[in-house]
Amino acid sequence: MEFDLLFKAFATVMLEPKNFFLIFAGVTSGIIVGALPGLTATMGCALLIPFTFGLPPVQGLLMLIGIFCGGIYGGSISAILIRTPGTPSAAATLLEGYPLSQKGQAGKAIGMATVASFVGGTTGALIMSFLSPQIARIGLEFGPPEFTALAFFGLGMIITISGRSLLKGIISGIFGLMLTIIGFDPLSGVPRFTFGSEDLLGGITFIPALIGLFGYAQVFRNIEKMQILPHVRSKVEKVLPKIAEVLGSLKTMIKSALIGAFIGSIPGTGCDVAAFIAYGECKRSSKNPQSFGTGVLEGVAAPEAANNAACGGAMIPMLTLGVPGDAVTAVLLGALTIHGMQPGPLLLRDHPEVVYPIFAGMIMAQAVLLVVGLSGARVFARLINIDRKVLTPVIFFLCVVGSYAMQFSFWDVGLSLIIGVIAYFMEYYDYPVSPILLALILGPMAEQNLRRSLIISRGDPSIFITRPISAAFIVLAIVVIISSYYRLKKTQARMAEMTQECDLPSKPE
Amino acid sequence: MQKTDVGVGAGLIGFSAWVYWYAGTYRAATIYFYGPNFFPQSLAFLMAVSAGILIYQGAKGRNLEPCETIHLRGFVRMLTAIGMCIAYLVLMQFVGFAISTCVFLYALMSFLGKKGVIAKVFPAVLTSLIVWAIFRYFLIIPLPTGEFSFTF
Repeated sequence: MEFDLLFKAFATVMLEPKNFFLIFAGVTSGIIVGALPGLTATMGCALLIPFTFGLPPVQGLLMLIGIFCGGIYGGSISAILIRTPGTPSAAATLLEGYPLSQKGQAGKAIGMATVASFVGGTTGALIMSFLSPQIARIGLEFGPPEFTALAFFGLGMIITISGRSLLKGIISGIFGLMLTIIGFDPLSGVPRFTFGSEDLLGGITFIPALIGLFGYAQVFRNIEKMQILPHVRSKVEKVLPKIAEVLGSLKTMIKSALIGAFIGSIPGTGCDVAAFIAYGECKRSSKNPQSFGTGVLEGVAAPEAANNAACGGAMIPMLTLGVPGDAVTAVLLGALTIHGMQPGPLLLRDHPEVVYPIFAGMIMAQAVLLVVGLSGARVFARLINIDRKVLTPVIFFLCVVGSYAMQFSFWDVGLSLIIGVIAYFMEYYDYPVSPILLALILGPMAEQNLRRSLIISRGDPSIFITRPISAAFIVLAIVVIISSYYRLKKTQARMAEMTQECDLPSKPE
Repeated sequence: MQKTDVGVGAGLIGFSAWVYWYAGTYRAATIYFYGPNFFPQSLAFLMAVSAGILIYQGAKGRNLEPCETIHLRGFVRMLTAIGMCIAYLVLMQFVGFAISTCVFLYALMSFLGKKGVIAKVFPAVLTSLIVWAIFRYFLIIPLPTGEFSFTF
């Protein structure tokens, strides 16, 4: 690590107004794009690349990094306010964020999400800057068994987000995995469960499924309950969380940031996986896990810290190996190539004048995100006071537009509507929808790598336990699953006891 | 909830059996032992087992009481809103994005009981124009223009 180059890069980024302005513009537009359901940070970066052609490489990349970081954070705003994550990485945030906004604490939730994103993003950017070569070396050791074990670990988190019924959570998760088998088989290319439809060849597109599960389902519930539920006016109180609340969640934020940076650095995983794993860990290690789902600030802090830290993590393999960490870094890789630079081990050596400003820009973007997020949070939180008879149709419309925008396809809109109807009924019968989302994210990774591993080992499953990293993930997953199961049972037993005590008639004196 | 769990469990077992059988037709399409049928059939098996446990729990009465029930009139209202959305998507193909969106939003707000013409027209027009402008000038994503290209 060349500290003099890093300080020089900071000076370049901060003291040149144009560089600073481009980061600001990138972060602000990223937040707006990320907050709108269906418009992801990936889409924002991909569509804005042509605007960077006329800019020098550093400035173009600074703007794209701003969009990346702002987009990942922006998804939390819609997740908290309208229960529709703007980006997949904010899907874990809504689990606690939306209940908080229902309690009239939307501003506090957004404030905490902003602070957590700043802490996580800064941690991830610092890790990226200082540990790039070392972390990339570990990621190089990952083969199919390790990816399978990681997917197993992630799917085990289903246990922690299953809500009231563990079995129904598992059924939801398996249903989600079944959705991922539609389309081309990733290894042999055989079309599966397409029934001759060209639209199904690509499988169930993730963003329309996400909008269906969380957007449409909520819109349908709003319409159904509109006449009977009173309109809850959101108290737009102080956005700045109390110092005590921030300090109380700081340990969670830093732990989640470390999880996020590590998960993000593994190619193919991404910010959404990091967010769910961090949320699951936060709930598992909490003293009051039964309160999760009712609006716990730490439950907002954990996924937000993780998903923003994963931004920095995802940049590591892209910069050092030329392998993108997720979809957005794949776009950034394309941007680097367009500007005449080849990402990989030689990039740091041959173009430090580009790489170190990227490090500095990433750190600066977090500070800009904190200021823009906190100053704009009240504006966003006020959205919830708008009359539901106006807001619900607008959200309905945004869901239509969001599911259309991904592939300019009405098929996606229809698919999204169908998934929304299914999710609507599922929630009424205690089938949680969060495991479906987790399964959609991890299913393809699980299948591909499981089959590859078994082909490599000629059907011998011991390949998963003879390789140390894979074995470590599996042991971790089993420990997490068992401890979460017992904790859930204990909580259910305690609640049953409490219910019995309340029902007992009082003894006469 | 007991009958629902048993019914859903039975349905899921039937669904799993169909998936297992259908996925088996892919076996001949490839030389790999762990071919395209492996994962679907594994999932179908796991689903059938889970559904069996669900039926058992339902039959024994070991299930949770539902937190909420579906409000019938609200449910009909929801179905009507979905129908309006489908009509909106059809209309968009003819008159384009902006006009159909204004009509859809106005109609849905009216259906949900919003009073006041201005209070409905203003948000409907503003929303559709803002989103249209973002897509057209900022994101440069094409939106349907319908049969009448002069309508944006």
